[in-house]
Amino acid sequence: MTARLAWRNIWRNPTRSLVVMVAIMLGIYAAMFMSGFATGMARSYVNNAIRTMVGHIQVHVPAYQEEARSAYFLPSPADLAAFAKKQEGLAGYSLRTQVTGMAASSHGNRGVQIRGVDPQQEGSVTDLDDLVADGDFFGETRRNQILIGRKMAENLKVDLRSKVVLTFQDLSGTITAGAFRVTGIFESGNTGFDEGIVLVRQSDLNRLLLPADSILPDSLSMPDSRVIAHEMTLLLDDPGQLDTIQEAFQAAFPGLLVENYKELAPDLRLYESQIQNISIIYLAIILLALVFGIINTMLMAVLERIKELGMLMAVGMNKGKVFSMIVLETLFLTLIGAPIGILLGHLTITYFGRVGIDLSAFSTAMQEYGLSEQLFLELEPVVYYQIPIGVLITAVLAALYPAWKAIRLRPVVAIHKI
Amino acid sequence: MAVITTRGITKTYNPDTIPVHALNGVDLDIEKGEFTAIVGPSGSGKTTLLNIIGGLDRPSEGKVIVGGQPIEELSENKLIDFRKDHIGFVFQAYNLIPVLTALENVEFVMLLQKRPAAERRERAMELLRAVGLEDKVNKRPSELSGGQQQRVAVARALAPKPTFILADEPTANLDSTSTAQLLDIMAELNHRESVTFLFSTHDQRVIDRARRIVTLVDGRIDEDVQQSQPATS
Repeated sequence: MTARLAWRNIWRNPTRSLVVMVAIMLGIYAAMFMSGFATGMARSYVNNAIRTMVGHIQVHVPAYQEEARSAYFLPSPADLAAFAKKQEGLAGYSLRTQVTGMAASSHGNRGVQIRGVDPQQEGSVTDLDDLVADGDFFGETRRNQILIGRKMAENLKVDLRSKVVLTFQDLSGTITAGAFRVTGIFESGNTGFDEGIVLVRQSDLNRLLLPADSILPDSLSMPDSRVIAHEMTLLLDDPGQLDTIQEAFQAAFPGLLVENYKELAPDLRLYESQIQNISIIYLAIILLALVFGIINTMLMAVLERIKELGMLMAVGMNKGKVFSMIVLETLFLTLIGAPIGILLGHLTITYFGRVGIDLSAFSTAMQEYGLSEQLFLELEPVVYYQIPIGVLITAVLAALYPAWKAIRLRPVVAIHKI
Repeated sequence: MAVITTRGITKTYNPDTIPVHALNGVDLDIEKGEFTAIVGPSGSGKTTLLNIIGGLDRPSEGKVIVGGQPIEELSENKLIDFRKDHIGFVFQAYNLIPVLTALENVEFVMLLQKRPAAERRERAMELLRAVGLEDKVNKRPSELSGGQQQRVAVARALAPKPTFILADEPTANLDSTSTAQLLDIMAELNHRESVTFLFSTHDQRVIDRARRIVTLVDGRIDEDVQQSQPATS
């Protein structure tokens, strides 16, 4: 009976009830959209970093992570490659040679990280092959090709076919230089990457690092297959297998440092950990605002029914039942609006999660922050649990004061209210 | 044994500021099956006395014993339960639950008493027939006239089989025809169900039908008379 009374009571003033339901619906929709937007941005940042730079897992010699010297190369890249090929759940791996040096054109020079890659391997762990705006991704067979970012091309005032000279220390400590021809200009969507990293073929870089007639210093031993690689980057099919694969590599190569992207780039860990917090904060702010709206409505509903509530208590409806009735009225109001909001939010997130939102109007700013121009909305599954729980807590909180007001009424006074 | 006994009831409002003495020592015994009117000018304390007897208000001093239970000893929640099981109320402004039908209104208190559904339905239908509203069972209060609403209120008050019914100015908002109908119904139910009725009223038509008339003046019983031949419609 209490539930039936509560249900009918909310339809006494349909306009007012509908306004509250729509407010709750829109509030939840807005919370979901904003969470989806923020999660999409965070995910875009993390994914861009993974797909252009970090990968999911990297393997180095421990000393390399302390100081990125060219002498700290992987001792057995062939073994690593063989292990990676046998490992299930890997989308690809890339053995990279990395040195720090100077890139110079006839117009200027810039400090750069020179990344020597096997184009096929690199294409399997990064999207760089798709991000080449001018030229191609090592499409030609001739030696000493270089791919640079758009920003770097602007800084050095070079274009396709231009010559760029790379200068760096070889493994014997001698300063060496090589002339490279620009065959591709990429736009990764990340300004820092575009102006700081250049890509060359690993074989070209290795030739300069370790000339054929050179002898390694005593402190260094020749790696197997004579391939100098400082880093192995792994991309997984399923990021959920991150820990398993990381542990497998670490177990197989105990002398090497196997780190995942969260360990390699703390900013990515921060972004990922904040995805959850962002959703909770948005939801909390909106629900807090809704609490006051609902309190206002329910208080009005109680105050205009003082006489009736007095009568109910006079004829024997105890305070617990009166309290429950007001709480139920609030729950009904809330629980009608909430599912509609959740459904609309879910449909919106699903739609824009598939087609994305075009933010190319803000492309400069987006790139500065390492974000894509196309933003795909995304919501952590746990948010779908958090919202109903949050709404339920909101409804109960919002009901408490009006319900308390109702049971504080003295029937003898209330029934004589005009 | 009296159904209602009051001894030395006083009620003072605003005792700390400007005291208003609404009742000044009321001793009253109401026997089972009485049809009693409490009359008196405005401000004489009729409604206050009814509120105290009905457990809606507490006396400043004195005792109220209903069916052998001193009700001032009951906590607020116990008092609500006591009202539910022992007292039926008929209010001046009908005070039906607007979102429930006539039938549901009559069933309401029985529902609070957790009576079985079939028993509730049967009793409610029987009472609505008795008050001549068997064709209005599914109407909401807004679809009924004032007289019809007050008849539903009487049916609701009787439904839980209370020890007595308190009616505060039950005819104040009714026209002559409705008043006559209501009084006939209440007299009939008083006779048939042996339920005690206690009214407060100004209405001469009600006073004429009462078998006992208690007159209050300035919060005291001024006169208490039995009418040997109450009027009939």
